[in-house]
Parts: sequence; C-alpha cells; structure tokens
Amino acid sequence: MTLADCFAFLIRQWRDEIVVTSAGNASEMWWHLTRETDRVFYLDASMSLASMFASGIAVGLPAHTVWAFSGDGAFCMNPGMLMVERQMALPNLKHFLVSNRTYGSTHDVALSNAADNDYVQIARGMGLSRVFAFDNMNALATGFEAAVRSPGHAFVVLEVEALGHTMPAPPMDGPELKFRFGRHLERIGGIRIFDSLD
Amino acid sequence: MSEKPSEKEGDVARRIADAVHEAGISLVASLPDGWIATLIRTFDADARFRHVAVNREESAIGLCSGAYFGGVGALALMGASGLMTCVYAISKINYTYQVPCLIFITMRGDFGDTAKFHVSNGLYLRPLMGSIDLPYTVVESAGQIAGIKRAWVHAKTYARPVVVGFTRDVLRGSA
Repeated sequence: MTLADCFAFLIRQWRDEIVVTSAGNASEMWWHLTRETDRVFYLDASMSLASMFASGIAVGLPAHTVWAFSGDGAFCMNPGMLMVERQMALPNLKHFLVSNRTYGSTHDVALSNAADNDYVQIARGMGLSRVFAFDNMNALATGFEAAVRSPGHAFVVLEVEALGHTMPAPPMDGPELKFRFGRHLERIGGIRIFDSLD
Repeated sequence: MSEKPSEKEGDVARRIADAVHEAGISLVASLPDGWIATLIRTFDADARFRHVAVNREESAIGLCSGAYFGGVGALALMGASGLMTCVYAISKINYTYQVPCLIFITMRGDFGDTAKFHVSNGLYLRPLMGSIDLPYTVVESAGQIAGIKRAWVHAKTYARPVVVGFTRDVLRGSA
C-alpha cells in the first residue's frame, strides 16, 4: 500500500487522539494531508524517540489516546524502545511503525538488513502481545478496529511502499509547535504546562 | 555481586527523593551508574514516583520531554557517560522545541574517582556541557540537596534542560 493511502485512511479514523509523528516521511505526509497545526507534534528534529515522547504524554493524560508514529529507520536506531513500552504497558498508547524499508527522508537510501527485518517478531520477542501488521488497504480497513480501538497498548506495523521522493516538512519553528500543541493539550486535558514555575 | 549500601548512602538517597518530590517531580526515568544504584532503588520503591527503567539514556530524555507536555514533572537519572550520549536528543528535542527537563548525573571522573575508564568524563564532561550551553550545577554537600527544586524551576524558566551533578562523596553520605 502507499503511504498516502495508508495515512489517508488513518486520518479518516482520527477522532480526538493526540498524534506524535517522527522525523521524515511520517511528519511530512501527515502534514501534507491534514495541514493540522495544533493536534499533532511533528517531532521532526529527532529520530527514534517519538514513541518515548508519546509515552510521556500518555502518562500525563491517561484519559486520552496517543498515536505515535515511528519510521523503520528510526526504529532500527532504538528498537529497545519496545522494552520500555512493554514495561510501561500504557493502555492509551498506540505505536505505528511506518515500514518503508528505506531511509525515506534521505532519498530512500538503503536501510540495514531491510529485506529481513521482522518488526513483528522483534516486538513479540520483547514481550508485546498486541502486535499487528498490515501490508494492504483491505487488511488495514478490516483490522483497524481490533488493532487500534481495542483497549491496551498496541504496536502496529504498516508496510508501505517507499515514497520515492521527499516532501516539505511542516513549516513551523520549534517554539510555535511547542505552544500550539501544548495549549491544545492544556485545553483538552485540563492540565497546566506553561504557566507554573513553582 | 552488588555491594550492600551503607546506611548513610540510603539516607542520602531518601533525602534526594524527598527533594525531588517537593520539586513536583513524579516520573523518574533511569539508566544506572554504579554510584546511583541505591538512588535508583530508592525511587523504584517509593510510591510517590513512577519509576521507569529505560533501555538507553536518550529514551529517558524522550520520555521526560513528552511528560512535560502531559503536565508531569519528570527526572532523567543517569551516569556521566549517559549524558555524553544524549547530546543529539537534548540538542534536537529540547533545544529545537524549547522543552525543559531535569537531568541528574554522577560527576564521574572528578577528583577522587579512581576509575581509569572515567578519565574521559573528567576531561570532557564539563567542557561538553559548556559547549552546548547546558546549564548545570554540582551538589558537593548534602546541604545542597534541598536546592534541587531550584534546578527544576530554572529549567522551566530557561525552557531547556538543567543538569544536577552529584559527587561520589555526597552519594555515599560522606559530604
């Protein structure tokens, strides 16, 4: 399936979930399709930490579901993130691994051992039980509810075609993103992020 | 084989935990250094904190940075060597998006540390923090532990991480 089709489907299912996207194609495509400025943290500046960042949010906002997107290039830099996720077992965290088997944001440069990396088995080997994988739109449409709407942490591998080209990154500087996203979380979560220095 | 902590070491760990709690911190993400094993166990056993043992120090930075957006005060606890591996995460996440974070480290390689394998920290830890304009303070006596809250307030004021380094003598309860 194409990344555009896959994300377009997910965006149609998107309700009030908090979204964190990782560097590269995930951030670029989500921005391209939504132009969303408040409900998404485009963690474009860092690879391999989107799910950890999302986990921190999920700890503070247990009544809200957080969708975290990692690219497989980022995942391969820090697969041990799944150990931490398994240990934390946050029921409101859904971690999507966008597997295009390349470094998509750097002109599809080859990813180490790309053809043989079995992300589902890696996740299961770290003790995760709610692991799902989809490589076509029909399967994703059929399996989405069970994978993503059911209670409990989930790790969802999305096997997509390499994009073949780069896309513009969300045109926001870091502080703008921080305050837009943070103010959104303050509103929906009833929390204070910025105003307390005590 | 683990070395049994002294009573003094346990007392200091509890004082640090109390100060961290008083600062409003409730999430602690750690990766060990031999000097902070007792402190990590103290956080882990203390119901005031959610302690998360992470797989690498950068994961602690990511987790604590996200916790900030969840309205949760968070502490990343690690050794000096761990901080040396976090330049990417700190400079990319915390500096780009101006996200405060409280980081505790050991002052490995300082005077009194006889470990040859920490000479690099003695040589480069402070210059490294200075080179990326990372604010830090060093706790050299138990009397300074109560000032931990100020470090967290400073981090939020500056909108960037602040490092608190602990000497071996403080952590073992002899300073």
